[in-house]
Amino acid sequence: MNAIQTRALRRVFTAGRDKRGKSGSRTALDGVDLSIPPGEVHGLLGPNGAGKTTLCKILSTVLVPTSGSASVMGHDVVTGLAAVRPLVGCVFGGDRGLYGRLSGRKNLAYWAALYGVPRRLIDGRTTTLLDRFGLAGRADERVETYSRGMKQRLHLARGLVHNPPVLLLDEPTTGMDPVSAMDFRRLIGELRNEGRTVLVTTHDMAEAEAVCDRVTLVNDGRILHSASPQELSALVSRYGRVEARNVPDTLTQRVRILPGVTRVATDTDGVTRIELASADAAPPVLRLLIERGVTDLATCRPGLEEVYLHLIADRGMEVGR
Amino acid sequence: MNRYLAGFRLQTALLRRAFGDLHTLLTVPVYTLIFLAMTDGVHRPGLSTDAVLAPALMGLWFMAVFTAGDLIVWDRHHGTLEPTVAAPGSLAPVITGRIGAVTLLSFVVYVESWAVGAGYGLRLTVHHPLVFLAGVVATAFATACTAAMIATLLVLPRNAQIYQNSVSWPLFLLSGIIVPISALPDWLRPLSRLSFLYWSAGLLRSALGTHPVDDALLRLTAVVLLGTVGAGAAAFLLRKVLTRLRVLGTLGYS
Repeated sequence: MNAIQTRALRRVFTAGRDKRGKSGSRTALDGVDLSIPPGEVHGLLGPNGAGKTTLCKILSTVLVPTSGSASVMGHDVVTGLAAVRPLVGCVFGGDRGLYGRLSGRKNLAYWAALYGVPRRLIDGRTTTLLDRFGLAGRADERVETYSRGMKQRLHLARGLVHNPPVLLLDEPTTGMDPVSAMDFRRLIGELRNEGRTVLVTTHDMAEAEAVCDRVTLVNDGRILHSASPQELSALVSRYGRVEARNVPDTLTQRVRILPGVTRVATDTDGVTRIELASADAAPPVLRLLIERGVTDLATCRPGLEEVYLHLIADRGMEVGR
Repeated sequence: MNRYLAGFRLQTALLRRAFGDLHTLLTVPVYTLIFLAMTDGVHRPGLSTDAVLAPALMGLWFMAVFTAGDLIVWDRHHGTLEPTVAAPGSLAPVITGRIGAVTLLSFVVYVESWAVGAGYGLRLTVHHPLVFLAGVVATAFATACTAAMIATLLVLPRNAQIYQNSVSWPLFLLSGIIVPISALPDWLRPLSRLSFLYWSAGLLRSALGTHPVDDALLRLTAVVLLGTVGAGAAAFLLRKVLTRLRVLGTLGYS
């Protein structure tokens, strides 16, 4: 049994009427099939409007899918609400979603009570979580005085307040400083060691590469690829490249016409980047460069960020329709 | 019970840190003074009881509409409704607990209006204390239930404040709090009986009077019954509204 499973999941939002009185609609999820086994840290990577938050909201039961199905630990999120909710911890993040006039401790105590944590355990549980997330020093101050990163950590603490086996983290490091973001990565490692299933949405490729067992790339409500960060890199190894220093112009011209070379560019630091269309294209390029005395060179495999950019390259800054 | 208590504690803590939400309590003494001045000015001391009781009931209602009625709308705007709904169990006990905290605090309105009356030289005697106490408790119950219904209904329109402002005064007129029911057109009077405030005001006035209280049980039953109808409507509407918001994807504004 998968911890999270979706089948042909579709969600359409009805937009307002236009000037001609016609109502429009926007497809946020379009036939998403996703399987996440227990204990996996799964990254959902995509641009704004790709459908990441919509998927998290459906899995947390606060949004109903238009069609298809989604389940958590075998319980359907529409027909099995009562069974799903105790199993899921949601972190929607941002400045909203907390009672700003109350302290971090009181916020956590409230959510703990709401999630059915026995009263005798609430104090201990909130103190432990405040310690774990580095908020103990300001636990009794109003949340409205917290920085965005502190609020984000409080959101994370809230997600864990009832000790759920499945965590949905929607852009959890937004607003965090680099040190906190590093702490967050360590936390994800701890959550994995505790056997929890984590679905984390992010824009941050480095973060996904660092913390996820598998990554799913989404765009326009559809899944582009789902694989481990390393497998995704291998999948697009054709996007590999050779980098070399001090390549004469005449040699650059010769490299450019070799089979499998798609692009050659030299930057102001004197580094020439040779983009390759396939892994087979690398040996002739390397041979030619070495024969001509260029020894300061390296082959590079694409990082997740490059994979991501290649797969949704044409989209640019446009948000989802 | 845990969810009820969680809601009660949350609202108590929020009210302690937001005096702005209690602005209604500041208006009760002013209304009492106005009503006392008006009744005294026309030499109708028989109306002094009404002049003290009316602002108290109005204050109770305003607290229900403006403080308790805003709960779900506020949570929705501040992103706290989504995680509340995502928690296991029903939302109803949480809302009930929160409204309970507001209603309990609302008892202050009686003290305020009584104190202003005393300062005005008015000595009010409760001649039927048991009836009065039962009336106050039943009124609090009905107010809380009606507040739950209002809190749910106010989720539907985007500009809920317009309705909050416009619903109160017609209700006060209809309930005979400000002017006697006999001053209303004949065709309007039957509607008064649908308002729990009509029954509450009459019962509490009678409990303060020297004459025996007529139909005390009937009037108490009417208050409780109308409150229960409100609670039932609130529970039904809450389920419907939450389902609608989950389907539309508008549980939170983001």
